[in-house]
Amino acid sequence: METSPHGVQSLMRNIRIIARLDVKTEHLVKGIQLEGLRKLGVPNDFARKYYQAGIDEIIYMDIVASLYERNSLLPIVRQASSDIFIPMTVSGGIRSVENARAALGAGADKVGVNTAAIKSPQLISDIAAEFGSQCMVSSIEAKNTRINIWEAYYDNGREKTGINAIEWAKECEKRGAGEILLTSVDREGVGNGMDIDLISNVCDVVNIPVIASGGIGNIAHMKDVITHTNVSAVAIAKILHYGDSSIADIKAALRQLEGIEIR
Amino acid sequence: MNSLAKYETDAPNEAYYGLPQEVLFCKTCVISNQRPNSIIEQKHTKESKKPVIAFTDGICDACRTKNSKVEIDWNLREKELIELCNKHRSKDNSYDCLVPGSGGKDSFMQAHLLKYKYGMNPLTVTWAPHIYTDWGWKNFQAWIHAGFDNILVTPNGRIHRLLTRLSTERLLHPFQPFVIGQRHLAAKMAALHNIKIIFYGESGAEYGNPIANNNSAKRDFKEYEYFTMSDDSDVFLGGTSFKELKEDFAFKQHDFDPYMPIDPQICEDKEIEVHWLGHYVKWHPQAAYYYAVEHGGFQAAPERTLGTYSKYNSIDDKVDDFHYFTTFIKFGIGRATYDAAQEVRSGDIELDEAIALVKKFDGEYPARFEKEVFEYVSIHEKEFGSKIASKFKNPIVTRESFLELCDEFRSPHLWKFEQGQWKLRHTVFNP
Repeated sequence: METSPHGVQSLMRNIRIIARLDVKTEHLVKGIQLEGLRKLGVPNDFARKYYQAGIDEIIYMDIVASLYERNSLLPIVRQASSDIFIPMTVSGGIRSVENARAALGAGADKVGVNTAAIKSPQLISDIAAEFGSQCMVSSIEAKNTRINIWEAYYDNGREKTGINAIEWAKECEKRGAGEILLTSVDREGVGNGMDIDLISNVCDVVNIPVIASGGIGNIAHMKDVITHTNVSAVAIAKILHYGDSSIADIKAALRQLEGIEIR
Repeated sequence: MNSLAKYETDAPNEAYYGLPQEVLFCKTCVISNQRPNSIIEQKHTKESKKPVIAFTDGICDACRTKNSKVEIDWNLREKELIELCNKHRSKDNSYDCLVPGSGGKDSFMQAHLLKYKYGMNPLTVTWAPHIYTDWGWKNFQAWIHAGFDNILVTPNGRIHRLLTRLSTERLLHPFQPFVIGQRHLAAKMAALHNIKIIFYGESGAEYGNPIANNNSAKRDFKEYEYFTMSDDSDVFLGGTSFKELKEDFAFKQHDFDPYMPIDPQICEDKEIEVHWLGHYVKWHPQAAYYYAVEHGGFQAAPERTLGTYSKYNSIDDKVDDFHYFTTFIKFGIGRATYDAAQEVRSGDIELDEAIALVKKFDGEYPARFEKEVFEYVSIHEKEFGSKIASKFKNPIVTRESFLELCDEFRSPHLWKFEQGQWKLRHTVFNP
């Protein structure tokens, strides 16, 4: 029996499958360990395809926003909101309540914050207070440093913080985050499976939903993370972008898992 | 006299190293016309005038080389490569080609393609970094484990450290001993193992060395004739003549061997040829990263290299951070500029992104390995003796003494001293 995010015992655990789209200027990009970013095409061509195939949510991640100190996702999200009717999260370059307001105004349902929250954790509380916790996703980039220790990174996995990622997840929840997007920098883009230890450690210390990101190379990896952790959602990129697996196949396979509900 | 006057003026009239007075930035990448070309390092002294990258109509030679590649028929080039391999492929499993490299993404892909795609039997050879990073060592091992014989050549550490110190002190070029050793290793190893063909990755013209050198895939050994007719007072290491190295720093003749080129006559007798794989196969550094990850478990560095944004490029030597810091001091060109220029040319990033990256990262002080690197180049009396230690103003290197040294190498035409701070007069984001 699993515990739902709200602490209520339920028989079925609902798992969301999320497509993660890393965006750099007008390109959909994909790297390995967030490095060597390869241009793959127009983000919304992919987003629309995933929506039509039944993906549950979409995360747009502007991965150069911190570099440019701007967010170039708004026109992309605005365009997507006219024909994609599932929850969309905009992450990257959200540095203020006003940035969050603009993203939500453009059609996003949630905003993800990493760099700016590391620099000023108060931003999490401010966004949650203004728009509600359900809008406030704490994006955490975690890198394994020692056995069972992870450090939070920012700027697309490039900058160290010295902050323990597990402690940081607790802090984010305490400050009002409604959800955690947890990316393993080590596993991202490699396709060798997720960092199960990282994900279970975070799931164990927070009560809000955790979206696991980084490492899915096949459907078995998804089964692994769903059965071995209390994760609420899995974000995938590589296998969708490169066409290695279809959303229909993924969902069909996961429906076979006992106690798991897939939309 | 105010020694800073030449840096405080708005009209500097002095350019060190023979660099062009007027600073220009390429219209299509971020490199400036201050980028020096490769030279014969054993002629390099503090007084040397450096040839620089050529610009034509505001576009640098590296971009022009890239543009000229659009017209290449890569199928034809691959056929040429296959013919070359057919001619040299061994029938008895002996080595038939030599691939020099570090086990970085590019040498990984070179050796792997030659062995597994073109059926060659390469011997890989590696000239050791000054100080391996943990991830550099792991990638080097991963390369070997992907199926290659390797010979790792590590120079005498005491000699190498002393040379690294001298090249820092006299040329602000701590990487010089590595560069020299690496450049000359391959041909000597090929001769030793009776291998006729050496495959490098990309030619220097990709990065702006004279295009004239680029039309043939072969490198000739002609320039090494210089050494056969030179004597101890006109060959240098670390900007110090062999004569001085022997008299003041206790070098023996054989200590120079790893830093000397092969006798060109041996190459001719043994019919050794040098080819660039980048001439035959379309080379894209980012694609080499993917290839090395997929075929051999290559790993990017766990953190970006200081002075740049990149994590996959030239990551195996702790001295590397200082190498690019010194190019920033001498030429105003740091690691982010080199990395971003390459990625713009390869189409991985846009020009405005490259400029933002340079603005954010170029010239960042490389604090992370500072302690280890300074210890490496410190000349302790108990280790080197008082005679050698006394040749240095500050035998023990500290951040303070290093930065003081750097200031001696700042060219007035590039640097301004303003309100107690050093500032580049011209940058790609504010030319």
